[in-house]
Amino acid sequence: MNIKTLVSSTVVFSILTVSSIAAVQAASDDSVTVYSSRKEHLIKPLFEAFTKDTGIKVEYLTGKGGALIERLKLEGASTQADMFMTVDAGNLWYAGSQGLFQTVQTETLKSNIPSYLRDPDGLWTGLSVRARTIVYSTDRVKPDDLSTYEDLASDKWKGKLCLRTSKKIYTKSLAASVIYNHGEDKAGNIISGWVSNLAATPNAKDSHVMNAILAGQCDVGLVNTYYFGRLIAKNPNAPLKLFWANQDTTGVHVNVSGAGVTKYATNVEGATKLLEWLSSAEAQAIYGSLNKEYPANQNIASDDIVSAWGSFKQDDMNLSKAGILQAKAVKLMQIKGYK
Amino acid sequence: MEKGCFKSKIWISVLALLVAMPIFVVALSWLFPEHELWTHFSQNLLPGLISSTVILLIGVGIGVTLLGTILAYLVVMVEFPGRKWLEWALFLPFAIPAYVLAFVYLGVFDYSGYAQVWMREVLGLPGFDIRAGSWAIILTFVLVFYPYVYMMTRASFKRQKINMIEAGKLLGASPLKVFFKISLPLARPAAAAGLLVTLMETLADFGVVSLFNYDTFTTAIYSAWGDFRSIEVAAQLASLLVLVAFFLIYFEKKARGQAKYYSADVSNKKPYHATGIVGWLISLFVFGVFMLSFAMPMLQLVIWGWESAGEEWSAKYFDLIASTSILTVSAALITVAIATVLALPGRCKQGSIWLKGVIRMATLGYALPGSVMAVGLLYGINQISVINIYFGGESINHIIFGSISLLLFAYVSRFMAIAYSSIDASAQQIKPVFTQSARLLGATRLRLIWQVYLPMMTPGILAGGLLVAVDVMKELPATYLLRPFGWDTLAIQVYELSAEGLFERAAVPALIMVLFGAILMSVFQYLDKKSSKTS
Repeated sequence: MNIKTLVSSTVVFSILTVSSIAAVQAASDDSVTVYSSRKEHLIKPLFEAFTKDTGIKVEYLTGKGGALIERLKLEGASTQADMFMTVDAGNLWYAGSQGLFQTVQTETLKSNIPSYLRDPDGLWTGLSVRARTIVYSTDRVKPDDLSTYEDLASDKWKGKLCLRTSKKIYTKSLAASVIYNHGEDKAGNIISGWVSNLAATPNAKDSHVMNAILAGQCDVGLVNTYYFGRLIAKNPNAPLKLFWANQDTTGVHVNVSGAGVTKYATNVEGATKLLEWLSSAEAQAIYGSLNKEYPANQNIASDDIVSAWGSFKQDDMNLSKAGILQAKAVKLMQIKGYK
Repeated sequence: MEKGCFKSKIWISVLALLVAMPIFVVALSWLFPEHELWTHFSQNLLPGLISSTVILLIGVGIGVTLLGTILAYLVVMVEFPGRKWLEWALFLPFAIPAYVLAFVYLGVFDYSGYAQVWMREVLGLPGFDIRAGSWAIILTFVLVFYPYVYMMTRASFKRQKINMIEAGKLLGASPLKVFFKISLPLARPAAAAGLLVTLMETLADFGVVSLFNYDTFTTAIYSAWGDFRSIEVAAQLASLLVLVAFFLIYFEKKARGQAKYYSADVSNKKPYHATGIVGWLISLFVFGVFMLSFAMPMLQLVIWGWESAGEEWSAKYFDLIASTSILTVSAALITVAIATVLALPGRCKQGSIWLKGVIRMATLGYALPGSVMAVGLLYGINQISVINIYFGGESINHIIFGSISLLLFAYVSRFMAIAYSSIDASAQQIKPVFTQSARLLGATRLRLIWQVYLPMMTPGILAGGLLVAVDVMKELPATYLLRPFGWDTLAIQVYELSAEGLFERAAVPALIMVLFGAILMSVFQYLDKKSSKTS
């Protein structure tokens, strides 16, 4: 036996050994295991409060939405996940369409969360609402000039608009809602109008859009309100304001973060309990204060900072529509050169 | 003799093909054609993407080669003020993940960044969109990736015979002429190796390009997967990246050509002493690169970290550091061990096109975006389960998914290229005459490897280990998807916070990473010095 054989067999052997003894930490029986694309710092306080209330432990694994969905698909019946939690209705809809969720329709969920924020078949439930609306410079824009998302495509905003990249899920869902409200042809024109009004290459982040407005690169943009909330918390005198879009027409485009019980959950009872608890007043208040999002439970008042922005009419298109139309929306944006 | 070769061929093939497994899984995606999406992509997306990717590769390629080689030449061949610590300091940018650097650069140089605000308000210059066009992103990549070329050419310059340069000087050649006619041609293989790693990393990058919103080929891969939910088309596109990498490797081998330069002596004598104004100008240039690529971004991170350390720091960080260390060290050890086996000189490897082929396959994973590779691995394991069940066995998914072994496997597959290229380069410097004389003296292959090959390959092994360790420390997508419960790393923490716009808090784990990388590099420096003293 020569040395090369020896070395290589040792290496292969050790790889195999490591694989076989690989520790897959099995969750204890009564705990709930969650796969989440919501980041750890946003879910940990919720789970801790749940455990305190109910005594049920929660284990979680964070990851990117699309990648976690692939992992869930491949794990199939052997998955450890009892619940899948993600942001954006498109992701929730897709996970549902791939058979990753089971139907959970309890009275508690029905009374806590309005129907347009839930899957029609009860596969997933929206747990927090994020509104995407217009943000503008109070130095250079009169609020009277603002009206709708569609209006931002008109010539008067040429060279004054900043947008976030079309690759981000919030932009995709907004574009899907434009298709839903206007049909593909007109939506295409609106998107083209946005693109020709851009003052800069679309930004990677909502916070960059607001910085660009503050620096004078552009005058108006579109953001999720909680990013505005964070900026104002740090810089209360920033000359920026939110404008509620489409109040005389379809309403402000909203999206959700949400969750569903997985099809192969081993702890269906615990996961259902967690889902119901997440829709409760206590959890919804934590959602609001952690991330300045709107509660999905309409009986709960928003966080103080959030309520100060005023109330507004929401677009009540059922959010699974945004999921179904998302691929069309991306195609349209790619054709129209919205990077 | 033939029989011995047969056995070692089997072993090496098995090892190499195992490492290359994700490549095969990705290639298998072509069994599931999807015409509609391809039509849309080829009409609306690919023409623009291909040209912007080519522009990026050419720009970054020229930039890193020039910057890396010039810096390496200066610190090795010229004595100038501050040279000693700059030689070491120039490695440091390595420890900062590319997307963190890109983030800081945008924060400083974008329209709303300090630098542009200052330019507009103090100098009265008009502002501009730094992300339009490609020059800014090219510069960013150059500043992030020059250490690859710097590290490899520096090692090569150190081994250049000083008497060749002295001869050039005696013949009256100017320093520039000596550089272009003697030093540069000799360092060409090393520069080509560094360039190759840079280009593959640029091709697979997703973090920097998404911050700049610059579309490259990976944009199409993620669009196919994320927007159109077609993992098949994503894999098909990714396999094209692998093909490009294959040709890059081919050209690199060609660039190396027959230029085998055998010299094992390391000299610390500097042929040139730059004194006076020239010396200070050189210092200023090298220091400027260090400032821009490390000190300035670090300063920003420290400012952010200082504001948020109280809020962000918790006992959890001990876990993050522990899992990062364990993953980094074990992945580096395994990768280097396998790469060494693959790179050891041997008579069986000499004329075997088959072996050369499979070894090359094993190094292609570097061109795959991390998450495509990770999903490819999951699909591969699932396929094994399917076959297993077909023959009456059980699914192995629940044992392998989310296990450390799978994550380590992903690292080995992905980073084999950097370990191999570094170790292979040092194996190439072993003169055939060593092998022959050892054989004549009746040395067994074991002794030959232990007492001749390994000591001579040590610099390459150490450098390869360091590169893999630092890359594993920074790796995000594969770790994020494949890690077991509770195995969060520092890179994941940086990502989770910065993805939510909490850059001040993200600076805390980022700074720990830089510190961690600096420790890795000091260990490397120490071992490197020790090995060059003993050999």
